[in-house]
Amino acid sequence: MPRAIRGVLIECEPAIKSILIHIDSTQLNNDAIIEDLDETHLMVKEQMVKTLQARLDEKLKETYRVEVPLDDSDEDKGM
Amino acid sequence: MSSFGPSSFLLDDYLEKLPGATFRKLYQQPSTAFAIFRRMLPPLAKVYVQALLYSPTPLTTNDIELWTQPEGKGTSNRAIARLRSLHIAQLSQSTRAKKAQDIQLTANFKKSLRLALEGGGSHNSFGVPSTLPTDPKIHIQYLDHWAGRIWQDILYYVVNSVPMKANESGGRHGSGGGGPKRAVRELLKMGGLVREGAGGLVQISEHGFNFLLQEANAQVWTLLLLWLEAADRNKALAKEQGTDITGTAIDNVEMLSFLFMLASLELGRAYDTSALTETRKNMLPALADFGLIYIDRDRPQQYYPTRLATTLTSLSTMRSVSASIDAATKKTPGDAGSLGADSTPTAPADENGGIVVETNYRIYAYTSSPLQIAILKLFCRLHMRFPNMVTARLTRESVQEAIKEGITANQIIDYLVAHAHPQMRRAAAAKGTTVIPPTVMDQIRLWQLESQRMQKTPGFQFKDFESVEEYRQLAEYATEIGVLVWKDDRKGTFFVSKVEQIREFLKARKKGN
Amino acid sequence: MPPKRKAPGTQGAAAKAGRTSALSTPGPGTPRSLDSSMMSEEDEDFLNDEDVDEAQKQREDMLAKEADQFVNKWALTSKNVDGGEEAGQRTYDAASQYFKKRDYSHYQLKPDHQNRPLWIEPDGTIVLERFSPLSEQATDFLITIAEPKSRPSLLHEYRITTHSLYAAVSIGLRPQDIINTLDRFLKTPLPPRILNFISSCTQSYGKVKLVLKNNKYFVESVDTQLLQKLLADPQIRAARISGTTDISTSYAPTMAGLVIPGTKNAAGVHQADLKQGNNQNGEQGQAGAEADVFAALNEEDDDDEKEAVHSFEISDASVETVQKQCLEIGFPILEEYDFRNDNVNPNLEIDLRPNTLIRPYQEKSLSKMFGNGRAKSGIIVLPCGAGKTLVGITAACTIRKGVIVLCTSSMSVVQWRQEFLKWSNINPEDIAVFTADSKNKFSGSTGIIVTTYSMVTNSRERSHDSKKMMDFLRGREWGLMLLDEVHVVPADVFRRVISSIKSHSKLGLTATLLREDDKISHLNFLIGPKLYEANWMELSQQGHIAKVQCAEVWCSMPPEFYDEYLRANSHMKRTLYAMNPRKFQACQYLINYHEARGDKIIVFSDELYSLKQYALKLKKVFIYGGTGQAERMQVLENFQHNPDVNTLFLSKIGDTSLDLPEATCLIQISSHFGSRRQEAQRLGRILRAKRRNDEGFNAFFYSLVSKDTQEMYYSSKRQAFLVDQGYAFKVITQLANINDTPDLAFATPQERRELLQRTLVDNEKGFEQDAETDDLFGKPSGRRGAGGARGRKAGNGVRRTAGTLGELSGGQDMAYIEQNKAANKGLKGKGAGKKADAGGQNSFFKKIQREKEKIKGAR
Repeated sequence: MPRAIRGVLIECEPAIKSILIHIDSTQLNNDAIIEDLDETHLMVKEQMVKTLQARLDEKLKETYRVEVPLDDSDEDKGM
Repeated sequence: MSSFGPSSFLLDDYLEKLPGATFRKLYQQPSTAFAIFRRMLPPLAKVYVQALLYSPTPLTTNDIELWTQPEGKGTSNRAIARLRSLHIAQLSQSTRAKKAQDIQLTANFKKSLRLALEGGGSHNSFGVPSTLPTDPKIHIQYLDHWAGRIWQDILYYVVNSVPMKANESGGRHGSGGGGPKRAVRELLKMGGLVREGAGGLVQISEHGFNFLLQEANAQVWTLLLLWLEAADRNKALAKEQGTDITGTAIDNVEMLSFLFMLASLELGRAYDTSALTETRKNMLPALADFGLIYIDRDRPQQYYPTRLATTLTSLSTMRSVSASIDAATKKTPGDAGSLGADSTPTAPADENGGIVVETNYRIYAYTSSPLQIAILKLFCRLHMRFPNMVTARLTRESVQEAIKEGITANQIIDYLVAHAHPQMRRAAAAKGTTVIPPTVMDQIRLWQLESQRMQKTPGFQFKDFESVEEYRQLAEYATEIGVLVWKDDRKGTFFVSKVEQIREFLKARKKGN
Repeated sequence: MPPKRKAPGTQGAAAKAGRTSALSTPGPGTPRSLDSSMMSEEDEDFLNDEDVDEAQKQREDMLAKEADQFVNKWALTSKNVDGGEEAGQRTYDAASQYFKKRDYSHYQLKPDHQNRPLWIEPDGTIVLERFSPLSEQATDFLITIAEPKSRPSLLHEYRITTHSLYAAVSIGLRPQDIINTLDRFLKTPLPPRILNFISSCTQSYGKVKLVLKNNKYFVESVDTQLLQKLLADPQIRAARISGTTDISTSYAPTMAGLVIPGTKNAAGVHQADLKQGNNQNGEQGQAGAEADVFAALNEEDDDDEKEAVHSFEISDASVETVQKQCLEIGFPILEEYDFRNDNVNPNLEIDLRPNTLIRPYQEKSLSKMFGNGRAKSGIIVLPCGAGKTLVGITAACTIRKGVIVLCTSSMSVVQWRQEFLKWSNINPEDIAVFTADSKNKFSGSTGIIVTTYSMVTNSRERSHDSKKMMDFLRGREWGLMLLDEVHVVPADVFRRVISSIKSHSKLGLTATLLREDDKISHLNFLIGPKLYEANWMELSQQGHIAKVQCAEVWCSMPPEFYDEYLRANSHMKRTLYAMNPRKFQACQYLINYHEARGDKIIVFSDELYSLKQYALKLKKVFIYGGTGQAERMQVLENFQHNPDVNTLFLSKIGDTSLDLPEATCLIQISSHFGSRRQEAQRLGRILRAKRRNDEGFNAFFYSLVSKDTQEMYYSSKRQAFLVDQGYAFKVITQLANINDTPDLAFATPQERRELLQRTLVDNEKGFEQDAETDDLFGKPSGRRGAGGARGRKAGNGVRRTAGTLGELSGGQDMAYIEQNKAANKGLKGKGAGKKADAGGQNSFFKKIQREKEKIKGAR
């Protein structure tokens, strides 16, 4: 009988996979990822998915294009 | 009660699903036949109907072919198909003896349409005007104002899920009544236009946003059809449970007929309530909630259709209800064409709906309508508000929040394009580019992509198969039943979203061996 | 000789304080965790505080505080300004809640509001409808009284600030006129708050002028009562030269009789005749009188017959005191130079060459400077490539007194001198340069000196010649000081320049007033108010600068690179995202594509390691700080004239005023964090493309960024300024058929792995620094020493990497190094100034071929 493992299948780009693996090993004590399936897929523990998403968002924040602040009055010292 | 989910809400779709028997009943009413004739048929189909209406003998497919050019054959076939699906026309069988088929109008339709065009008969299908004295204050403008407000409230609720605040100083903004009635709110929820979000708060959904994007006419029908479907379900449920003792569950034929009748009424005229059937009288409160009819509390013997009703079957393509009303009430000299149902869409001038989208993501919306502003807030960050213009910005945060609500990047783009300021349209036409700057469109889509970097599917991974054959069979089975999400033949493992059937299959397989 | 002119007493030192605000305003989601020392911009390359003695530092700090105080006093948001009626929230309808305090829907629209182009907010933000009938005039007006914030296509935004009003007033606009004109253009009535703001600001700005006339200093004002007020101050009273009448009155200065060279009116009019305000030519003298509201106002002035001005004389020695006191009292002094009545300083024989016509926007900017016949000090802002140099030269030709020009690098010094010789008839002996390499003087009684900021502010031990030169510079009164690239130079440096060199008028030239350190306010008081700012989009539509297609190319990182990136520290991160092999490929692809189109391409990289690697790999010439002067010249010559040299790699050195008129395509592979002005400046390299007026011509600006790295964040930050000028950056996520590129770099995984290894090893010992800071503000080359390192690694100068590479990967890489030398060396035989001859080209080309074959054979 084959084994059935419960979990969540993550599909993503290779770069994202790298980040997830990085997060798992440096921040989560290798707790989240069950198996690295292929270039674009990972098996992840169900209860860790939310955390993983949050950490991913955090990491990606660094790369986000910036936006000019809406409230210009902070910028200009003269006003 | 679960929502109906995404049906397309269009009258066309609704009607096409109805059985022939329903149509026969529907076509008993001349107003229905007339309305459907007027609104639901492509031009060529109308020509055929008119030809068949008074023709003593049926036409044949040969005759029709003679009329049409070879390149028009497709259009002709489509027209005939439409007539058949709406049970307006029927074709006889094609036999070896007589290859060409006869085409003729269905009996009820024919009779009703003739009555509609010629007048006469006692069907009262076009409503019975009231003979009682009318209240002078109830004139077209009043009705427009009243209906416009109700509709604004409904739309506002969909956007905001919060009733507009009562306005102390009166005036155009806000309603006096605190939003749409509970029954309407329930309907909106059931139709999936709003949904319950975190903490029990009701929020707009993707379908709700689609709803907002629809043209005014389509919006009204969307709501009406939701109502019709609710009635259908109630009736079916009652039948099942045998609870419909009094038999007052509203029949969809009745409802539809009534709607078509209302569509034929004259705006500004009072009609006699007592001339209505019991069922129809029971429909009046709901119709009032939708803003389709107005009844003065002191004079319940009269009802007035509003513009929302009288334009139900019109061909106008006004962007919004208020635009329709504005266009109709505009007193532009010589612009008689702007009044009435068949006006062509006018470009929004200063007041309503002209949105400018700049390449640096700043938005300038020429509007003073709280509804429009509430819609903008769904995906923009609002900044300043002047009497006739609002400034805002598209930001990653604002767009991704909308995406979380279920609104898609394309919907946002469609909305901005649909409401683009005439200056933007002009510039685009002159330069041959898109109305919205391409970089902005791209960025909105990129922001959506950003929030979808990770696709998650819960389920089970199967590995350690006893043999390649076992793996292969299971994988095939999983694919067949549609639960296979991923597999790797080389490694001999796959992932499925549901496990029960696989388990069963395995057991059966084992037993079989 | 007592210093005639100290800087107006409002400069700031605040070097330390400035650093913390070097972090530009953050947007949502700004990564705060990033190493903040990496984010500081200009400071690291500039003056070392150890150059300055303690006493001066203290003084500078104090002056900075004063400046800050003054600026803050007049902030619109401060309590000084009345009009609190808008404050607080008013709920008008269901939508009001979304706007908090910014719901102005209760304003009454004027009946003809459709014909008026402006809305205004009590905080000073103005929205302009470009498609409104009056928008042209409104724009002209707004640029004079407000700062442009956003100028895309249909709706523009401006902001009224203390500085913008200061500028308005200093060029002669009266508060009532400002208010009336503003009201004329507004759709709704002028909010009381704005009215009060304008009134209160303009009450004190521009009311008092310091005029140098006939070598005497006068404190001048149209308002006698104000003068009395000033005189009531004991220090000022003490400064007044007794014996003269208390307050003398004369006619207000006008522009009559002054013709700006190069304008249509100037043609045929000889400057010398007009020296004394000869009224015969008065009518011809009015330059640029269009439907310009400002011009209209000026004309109204003249119609009132001559306005009277009042003044009293003060002693040379007390100028600084008086300036300081006026500031104390609340009336900052504007400096004006009445050069037509300066009979003491010798005249400079200089004129624009005949048939030189300046462009309308250049004329406009100068008319603001010379609007009342005197020379006002201030700043002119024009996009890169729009001809700032010519504006400076024309100003010099108008004033016709001694000029000192300050540049950011020795290369630009050479460029400026060349431009002077090109556009004006100055005698080559009358214009001299003062740099590390050459210390000349002009022979006559007056002339032009072109030098760098660092030469003048460097207070370390000087060579004898250098010292003599400095004495020479300090010992005379200059008529005009031209300050190039003011947005780049720290305020401290200006202060030092200005305190050591006396000039009667100062003109700052820049492409943008953006500074990541927010010191614009200080600049305004150091140099003067902003006189004029051009509209980028407008200039490009009119063909004065090229139309540019901007794009950002996203290059994904291969997994190995990305994994390393995730683990690396910030320095290495930067190197890695620059060395992304997919970026190489994209660069190669774009170069091929554009060379085939006949474009001249410049590739920029701030990151020195990658610059060299790219240039080597793609076999192109390059220039960086370590490139010798002569070699630089040769490479540039070839780039400009040699049809076989079409791509040039440049390091940060390229950011200084290198004139490269023929570049039509720019590729950026790595940049300095989020510097907006750097992005704007680089864009300027291609804006001046001569082919810009060809039908449908477009220049191209590509920014290559590595996907999912910090670079994306920085890239977008840099673009912010350009985006607000109306440029749109298209995102390219894929280059079509890139894999079909012949000889595609790093096409195999193995090559990529090798690249990664090489990159890691080469850089693990520290990062190569670009020793080009000699040209900016650091010390002359070779003198880095302990003082130079600040926040950066301690590596000194350029590290030779040839040895290490040879050890690692064998002869193949040696070929690359040889290659590099070959690429540049191949040009050496030609000699500077000469056009490349056919023979020379071929030999260069042959050498490249040979190297190529060698490599092919070695594979």
